[in-house]
Amino acid sequence: MTERPEAADLLEEARRNLLEVLLPLLPHHRRYDGLMVANAMAIASRDARMGDEVLQDEVRRLATLLDARGATDGPSNAQHAKLQELERQLAQDIRRGAYDAPGLRRDALRAYLRASTQGRVRLSNPKALAGA
Amino acid sequence: MTVDLATDKAAQERICRFVAGVARARRATLANIVPLRGGAIQENWAVDVDLEDGDMAGRHALVLRADAPSRVAASHGRALEFALLRSAKAAGVTVPEPLWCCTDVEIIGRAFYLMRRMPGVAAGHRIVKDLSLGGDRDALADRLGRELARIHSITPSSGGAALQFLTPSSGNPGLDRVRLYRGYLDDLGDPRPVIEWGLRWLELNSRAAAAITLVHQDFRTGNYLVDEQGLTAILDWEFCAWGDPMSDIAWFCAKCWRFGATDREAGGIAPRAPFYRGYEAAAGRRVDPAAVHYWEVAAHVRWAVIALQQASRHLSGQERSLELALTGRIVPELELEILHLMDAAEDAGRAA
Repeated sequence: MTERPEAADLLEEARRNLLEVLLPLLPHHRRYDGLMVANAMAIASRDARMGDEVLQDEVRRLATLLDARGATDGPSNAQHAKLQELERQLAQDIRRGAYDAPGLRRDALRAYLRASTQGRVRLSNPKALAGA
Repeated sequence: MTVDLATDKAAQERICRFVAGVARARRATLANIVPLRGGAIQENWAVDVDLEDGDMAGRHALVLRADAPSRVAASHGRALEFALLRSAKAAGVTVPEPLWCCTDVEIIGRAFYLMRRMPGVAAGHRIVKDLSLGGDRDALADRLGRELARIHSITPSSGGAALQFLTPSSGNPGLDRVRLYRGYLDDLGDPRPVIEWGLRWLELNSRAAAAITLVHQDFRTGNYLVDEQGLTAILDWEFCAWGDPMSDIAWFCAKCWRFGATDREAGGIAPRAPFYRGYEAAAGRRVDPAAVHYWEVAAHVRWAVIALQQASRHLSGQERSLELALTGRIVPELELEILHLMDAAEDAGRAA
């Protein structure tokens, strides 16, 4: 961040303006578009506030699960590349049956998948966590 | 070449000549051409057609349905969908009557067909909330079960030449789907461990289907029309295939198609019981809860893969769209439901 108000603050205020001021003025057949824009802004502001934390958390958990070496902190683009690399390995392992057998390894996978998915849902649609 | 039907007079003139020919009318004219909000895969237009002379002389309220500029991989083109609609009509399913199909791309730049326009509302979020629509909800669920049973009365042996284009089933539709969705994921390129986990489970728990029938594959709230009295039409036939009839029941009941009314498990409109009852009464086939559970996992896997494909149309720049972009962001909640359903199966397995 170089200036304030920061990205998340701007998005949240812009969204409030959209919902309270502009949406009532839209013709009925454009209301859905207005709601989609508001939804996109809500996701983007959560990404801006919590995205890095969710990403780091996921990389750390996945590195532990896979017993992977190498840096698990650093700038977010490096973290994202690291996550992709580890996820690719995990996806291949799952597909070839490496987690089929009951036991600690399988339980650890299930715990990881649940935690990482919950993190992503917190960004994309936290309301969905309430019912799960 | 693609055209805007509402403004392109030359295209309208070509449609008129086509319609006059197939309807054996002296002349056809178009009026009131309005774009309809359709799926992300095709374009729909409301259009009134006036025919002079011939057996169908008079005004007809129709829908023109055309291929969109880009389509998802699993979607049939319009000509194939037209054949499916005719088969469904013949099997007694409540569908808009299909009239004429045009595969000559010189007319509007892509294939299209015309069908009768049915009254009613399709929007899932409205149907779930607005109880003035659809009549009594248990009766609606029962009726939808009966409609689905009629779709499932069409089989590879009864379907005839018209449905020859559908890929034959191996007899294990679950495994067929696993192969298909792995292929889609590999084409997309980005790893999705939760979806892979779901696919592995579907692979290990697959079994031969008790029956292979026509399956609609998008039979859900949002894809049928209701008015104040009840059902007026089943829509969106573009994903039909040969498969396990239990997969359609699971798709209808899947949590992702309840439009927020998660406690009404049959499509957000009613409990499962009346839907299952109507189905069993008309199909003469029992609903198998274990198979339905299997296919509910498959339903969320499938929707997650399709959502990734739709997001990729946006991300690749092929078709920039806010709706497609947001569809990509529903994938995590679908993955959460995949895990939840698999946990339920695993816990049930341990208890047994």
